[in-house]
Amino acid sequence: MMLALGETLTTPEQAVKPEMMHVWAKVLRDPNPIHTDVEAVRARGLGDRVINQGPGNISYIMNMLLAAFPAGRLAGIKVRFLDNVFGGELVTPSAVVLSIEDSPEGRRFSLAIALHAEGRLVLDGDAIVLTPSV
Amino acid sequence: MSDIGSPPDIAGLSLDGAAAIVISADENRMLCEGMGVAPASDGQAHPSYYYTATQIGMRLTVRELCSHCDFDVENAPMMATSEARYLAPLMTETPYRVRGQVDSLIRKRSRKLGAMDLLEYRLSLIDSNGATVLETFNTWVLPRPELS
Repeated sequence: MMLALGETLTTPEQAVKPEMMHVWAKVLRDPNPIHTDVEAVRARGLGDRVINQGPGNISYIMNMLLAAFPAGRLAGIKVRFLDNVFGGELVTPSAVVLSIEDSPEGRRFSLAIALHAEGRLVLDGDAIVLTPSV
Repeated sequence: MSDIGSPPDIAGLSLDGAAAIVISADENRMLCEGMGVAPASDGQAHPSYYYTATQIGMRLTVRELCSHCDFDVENAPMMATSEARYLAPLMTETPYRVRGQVDSLIRKRSRKLGAMDLLEYRLSLIDSNGATVLETFNTWVLPRPELS
């Protein structure tokens, strides 16, 4: 698939799995209890469901881009975390192609990226994907 | 408005890792499979390892870094922004060294979160040839409800 300028990329909504937060906690060596212990979330007044790790939220975007550009590679990504994403919520990643340029490294796609959870914008930013020149 | 004081002055604190970090192919496979995606067949690590590998390979654990900020990790630090520049794909079973430092720790008051500290730091992954393969810049929010 070759995306065109202005084209929007998205995927079907996905459920945020609390069990995956245990995997992230192990991989990240992250002892922050709000990802694995709902009582810790309640005690901090942050809600009544565990909160997904930031890298987990970014990965929804990354996986969408990897699927859309199977011959490409991620060259850069910059995100703002705007709200928490809770276990069991449905998230939808999206990206809009802002520019396409040929460079010495290959074809360079600049994209505006976003992640919505149950309709809330929870992450936004931009990404750069490099693909082989055509 | 009450005085919310100042955080510790840790700008410039070195985060250089003491030993090389290796992204385990088995762990990468576990992570990818958990997310429902196939691991790359050519040994590339999932790009989210920009964050994971640098965090694990830096000199301090998350708990220790928070402690330098006079903040208990049990009080739930949150990511505010994150940026990665990949100069080459990240590979599994390949040693990388981590270089980095704390850029700033600033105390401020947020309408949404109340008093908080903003921690900014940068980390790089260096391959065995001395080439930088990744640069990352991260900002964490350290809530300070006791100061609000």
